[in-house]
Amino acid sequence: MQDIGLDIILIGILIKTTLQMATPLVLTALGGMFSEKSGVVNIGLEGMMLMGAFTAVWATYLTENPWIGVVAATLAGGLLAAVHGIVCVKFKGNHIVSGTGIILFGVGFTTLMINATWGVTGDSPSISPHELPKVNLPFLADVPILNAFSQMSPIIYMMFIVAILAWYVMYKTPFGLRLRAAGEDPSALDTAGVNVEWMRFIGVFISGCLAGLGGAYLSIGFNTLFRKLMTSGRGFIALAALIFGNWTPIGTFLAGMFFGFLNGLPNVIQVAIQIWPGLEYLQIYVDWIATLPYFLVVVALAGIRKSIPPKGIAKPYEKERKQ
Amino acid sequence: MGQQEATISEQQSDRRPSGYLRGAPSAIIAKFTDRGFQKQAVWVTFSVILALLVSAVIMAMAGYDAGTAFTYLLVGAIREPDRVVQFATPLILTGLSVALAFKCGLFNIGAEGQLYVGSMAAAVVGYAMAFPYLIHPILCFMVAAVFGALYAFVPGLLKAYRGAHEVVTTMMLSYAAILITSWLVGPYGPFFDSAGSQLIPQTPLLQDTAILPTIGGHYMHAGILVSLLAVIGVDFLVNRTVLGYEMRAVGENESAADYAGINSKRRVTVALTISGGLAGVAGGGEIMGTYGRFIHDWSPGLGWDGITVAVLGSNNPWGVLAGAIFFAALKVGGNSMQQSAHVPIEMVGVIQGLVVLFVAAPRIIEWIQTQSFDYTSWARSEESFPVEHFVGTSLSIGGIFVSFGLLATMGRTFLVDGTLFTIAMITLAAFGSFLSRSRNIDLLMTLSIIGWFAAFLAGFLAGEFLVWILSGIFGVLCLFDLVLIRRAERTYYIKQEVPE
Repeated sequence: MQDIGLDIILIGILIKTTLQMATPLVLTALGGMFSEKSGVVNIGLEGMMLMGAFTAVWATYLTENPWIGVVAATLAGGLLAAVHGIVCVKFKGNHIVSGTGIILFGVGFTTLMINATWGVTGDSPSISPHELPKVNLPFLADVPILNAFSQMSPIIYMMFIVAILAWYVMYKTPFGLRLRAAGEDPSALDTAGVNVEWMRFIGVFISGCLAGLGGAYLSIGFNTLFRKLMTSGRGFIALAALIFGNWTPIGTFLAGMFFGFLNGLPNVIQVAIQIWPGLEYLQIYVDWIATLPYFLVVVALAGIRKSIPPKGIAKPYEKERKQ
Repeated sequence: MGQQEATISEQQSDRRPSGYLRGAPSAIIAKFTDRGFQKQAVWVTFSVILALLVSAVIMAMAGYDAGTAFTYLLVGAIREPDRVVQFATPLILTGLSVALAFKCGLFNIGAEGQLYVGSMAAAVVGYAMAFPYLIHPILCFMVAAVFGALYAFVPGLLKAYRGAHEVVTTMMLSYAAILITSWLVGPYGPFFDSAGSQLIPQTPLLQDTAILPTIGGHYMHAGILVSLLAVIGVDFLVNRTVLGYEMRAVGENESAADYAGINSKRRVTVALTISGGLAGVAGGGEIMGTYGRFIHDWSPGLGWDGITVAVLGSNNPWGVLAGAIFFAALKVGGNSMQQSAHVPIEMVGVIQGLVVLFVAAPRIIEWIQTQSFDYTSWARSEESFPVEHFVGTSLSIGGIFVSFGLLATMGRTFLVDGTLFTIAMITLAAFGSFLSRSRNIDLLMTLSIIGWFAAFLAGFLAGEFLVWILSGIFGVLCLFDLVLIRRAERTYYIKQEVPE
């Protein structure tokens, strides 16, 4: 391994960190896309992620099988999203108000349940021998940069599949067309004989499932325990990624990857400063370097184009009374 | 003579209530007698009650004593009003900040960042410069407002003229602000307290002249006066000025406002700038009143809580005031609940979340109304049913309580707990369908009977006396009621088919 240069190793670490940081963001942001494309603003992603992260650990702890944990996390996220869906779609509530409630509930409930289930505060006990098995790709192990893709959690690979599926479903299936129509022009969809409320509800439910999966990656894919507030604002960053990606599957995927890269960059810079000779003076400016990407996002967003949300977003659809 | 003069002046004042100051009391009273405000207030109160009910169920499931918890929640909040005010002081300002942006159709999700920038500026002016009493804090507040406003001015400009979505820009700038202020007060930054503890990145203590005096109890500081002034100011701005009117118009419908000749771009920028200024003032007040210095990462999410407070107050400044006080009271009460009833303070978060969820959906009350209207009309037309259905409703309520109550003392075998949980869900559904007079009552009753008997068996096998005896009783009662319902239905339909 002596012949591999430091730069190659660093690039490998960078790719790996990016993928690890981006997976929950991309999954959650794609989920958010399903909800917002169908016309329901979902700022409660953070709460759904937390719910998923907690349920994953809880179910794994009970059954000692991480895959049941993943499924339970997906369902738990979907369940919380269903509450959001009922409030927003059936009761025509304000989407942002409801989303705020979802976040507060998710944060409070998961932290409370750590205490109620295990009698501890802050961190849940580790599920250590039962975490998700890493996928081993032996043929990549010796390739310099690509070996970053080996030895990763299966949810990372799932993320790529979900991204492709999201694009396919959204643009190549009748379901996707109807979902988009529910967000762009609900009355036209209603005229075509499709139940707008049901489409929107399904959109919100999918968003919760994907956010729950993203949370599950955080707790049993990347870590082996659930920590109080472990998503630390990732739901909001996913929301930003969704807007930055202009509400399209590909854009959202790329934006999620980019934000994951930004999230991981400070860690990689720390490593680089330590192993690269002659970079010690940068230690002083680490905070500034970590800040730069955030400014870059602002500049990029201002420079590229106008954000165009779905037209019917945040507007409850009222069928005209036929009497 | 005097009387006559008085009546004349009264008439005059009636005809033209001149001057804002003279009109102020009646204007404030008018706000509380306003129908929309009353409706909102009633709905919020109702949401609080609903939320407390649901959280009582959650507490019972998690194995806590809900009654004791609520008692200490209330007692704790009443016992320490000064703490409540202290917590409410910054929340009022961040809530106003978010609410003002909402009024103009903007979602200022990055109030946290503006708060950090404002508080940083206030801290620097507070410790590094010398001014006399009274002038120093006012100056700090002004600097905090200016810096917070500047930090929101940039995203406002980008939103108005470049279409950059404010959710992304303000949030990104907010993360940047937290990092930058951390660096500024850190060991490499210019504002590091090199004389104090080397471990915590923080500024030196503020000078005595800049510290806000305590004006009541141990914690209530003068910042609350600024917050109250801000409430009045924002209310005035939004409801009584042209600028506020135009901002609201832009928030309602931007293209219509443009068509009416309002420069919507400029209004958007101004709204976000003022919003940032309010968040900055909130940060400055906390530094001067509570913390005494800028410590890195000091805010416990005040900017985020501002969103919730704005939402609770439905973006009305006085509503924000009430929402912030409610929020703070829950926080203070939560502390006492944790100490005395041993329920974790996070329960407060659950209650807040539920309150907000219910506030979001005022149509729940309409829905319940229509359900109960259906119920009464149905009860009037058919005399034989209500008794059986009343028994069934009571049985399902009882079932909910019993199953959740048994679940609350967890730690049995998986089988027993699982069955109990299933029954709990079924009885909840049965209760719902009894209320909504749904047709699947029979099915749900059958299911719950099966569930009760399953629990009876499981409890018997596991040797749980309380479980099997209670589920046995409920199973038999439900079976009895199902038979009654079926018989009543049959006689009813036979009567219908064979009219005399």
